[in-house]
Amino acid sequence: MIEAHQVSVSIGSKRIVSNVDFTVRPGELAAIVGPNGSGKTTFLKALTGELHYSGNVSLNGRNATALKPWEAASIRAVLPQSTALSFPFTVREIVKLGVTGGRSGVPSGEADRLPERALARVDLEGFAGRFYQELSGGEQQRVQLARVLCQVWAPVLDGQPRYLFLDEPVSSLDIKHQLIIMNIARDFARRGGGVVAILHDLNLTAMFADQICVMHRGRLAASGSPQAVLTDDLIEQVFGCRLRVGALPAANMPFVLPQSAVA
Amino acid sequence: MVDGTIAGLTGEEEGVRHVSGDRSARALLAIGALAVVLAVTALFSLTWGASDASALGLVSNWLFGATPGNEALSVRDSIIVYDIRLPRIILGVLVGAALAVSGAVMQGLFRNPLADPGLVGVSAGAGLGAVSVIVLGGTFLAPFTALLGSYALPLAAFGGGLVTTIILYNVATRQGRTSIATMLLAGIALGAMAIALTGILVYMADDRQLRDLTFWQLGSLAGATWLKIAAAGPIIVIALATTPFLAKGLNALALGEATASHLGVPVQRLKYVAIVAVSAAIGASVAVSGGIGFIGIVVPHLLRLAIGPDNRYLLPASALLGACLLLLADAVSRTIVAPAELPIGIVTAAVGGPFFLWILLRKRGVVDL
Repeated sequence: MIEAHQVSVSIGSKRIVSNVDFTVRPGELAAIVGPNGSGKTTFLKALTGELHYSGNVSLNGRNATALKPWEAASIRAVLPQSTALSFPFTVREIVKLGVTGGRSGVPSGEADRLPERALARVDLEGFAGRFYQELSGGEQQRVQLARVLCQVWAPVLDGQPRYLFLDEPVSSLDIKHQLIIMNIARDFARRGGGVVAILHDLNLTAMFADQICVMHRGRLAASGSPQAVLTDDLIEQVFGCRLRVGALPAANMPFVLPQSAVA
Repeated sequence: MVDGTIAGLTGEEEGVRHVSGDRSARALLAIGALAVVLAVTALFSLTWGASDASALGLVSNWLFGATPGNEALSVRDSIIVYDIRLPRIILGVLVGAALAVSGAVMQGLFRNPLADPGLVGVSAGAGLGAVSVIVLGGTFLAPFTALLGSYALPLAAFGGGLVTTIILYNVATRQGRTSIATMLLAGIALGAMAIALTGILVYMADDRQLRDLTFWQLGSLAGATWLKIAAAGPIIVIALATTPFLAKGLNALALGEATASHLGVPVQRLKYVAIVAVSAAIGASVAVSGGIGFIGIVVPHLLRLAIGPDNRYLLPASALLGACLLLLADAVSRTIVAPAELPIGIVTAAVGGPFFLWILLRKRGVVDL
């Protein structure tokens, strides 16, 4: 279980995140949504120990600040918004860093082939020999996800659930790959892990999230199931624009929802 | 131009299990080949020089005992080989390896292929430390030199390099992000300050010290003695021996400090150890051989093209290739204007300068300053 209690983050004299309480149980996919600048990424960075915070964060009952880097790396993996690379690594070499950095949990005989399996999962089969820097933004994002998956390949290891922290994992992906990636995240949760993902697409969020946390000006504006949270009032209050949940566009206006995907 | 995929290249190597995107087999092969080349280069350097002293005769004497017609290895030959050429070769191997590995580690630390101790003022800082001991060793720093003896010079150079690297890192890095433009500019500023202070010391120096300084500043292996090897060798060997432990962390660091930390790397400790190791290796090298530039940038760059940027292979391969290139540069410097000698710093700069420009032209648009 991920438990955050009264987490606040200040950068300089400016308070970015204020007194956020947050809990993710194993088996759950929690989405963090909110307008730009509402403190989503800062909060995620506090959860992953990248930024100093006040308050308390624990992973599986252990205080997160007390975890050694390699202990934390064997409990959770983190996908950043974007990753720039200065040396010509191949895709396989990047994904391999996940295998060596964490504990994949697969038998040692299979660990050699794990990068290929992870790449196939994110629909990048055959990309192992390509240079990372020559890929498109969306492909790079999926390579990073494959690396992150390798780090905590088994959602549960030694009886302990493990976690994925994903900062806008689908931001530069086409609709097909948005669905593929969100299905991977949901599958990770269904098999006993926990997922925290910052998302922008409210439809995708409603479709995949078990729990939605809405951030607004550094505070938690609402949290709960998609049905409970996504209301006309909340969207107007938080995003500052009047939208109606569940309203259909005029009859001659096409619209495409991820929910209509045929499995 | 580098191939879009390396599958086509590795596919041709028979007998090597082929995994697309995995260059470790090729890297190991390259390290083996470089080790052989270094051994050959070192033997070749032992026999090549202004004198016709026959090192081959010496070697065969070691191996097979005195053979008929070969007993009378002259005293002159044995002095030339044992006391002049051999220490020079050992020093060349140590310094070449130290410069190349320091470059590779620093590039990993700053996440940029253009970082080089010579370019960003670390060598100048080490030089300042060395010159301080040469000029002030008899007066102001007398207790220091008396206490440390022949270690005073390399340790002072180490201190100078360490201070410069720490200032550089703190100026160029904000919240885990290293600004390369700031790093290069700060390196220029620090280098200029170190050179100015060095200039003041040179101005204060007496005639005997001036001769020492000139000899040293040009950058040369000519003054190699067993004493210098005893002073600088252990520092370089210890510093280089720590770098293989940094390799995995430096690989993860290529993805950024935060991501490296999420991958389980103790980033702060990695940075401290890397900074101290680089400063020690550069300090000791500068102390015994002066300013020899461009090895640290040329060697890792060539190797990344050949075997990829994985530091587990890049660091040992850099040590071997750096040693080879410095021995070759030394051979050129000894013979090109024979019987006189060209300072080796001139040789490496003459070759390295154009090479550096070539990197910039090739990378234009890729390296974002």
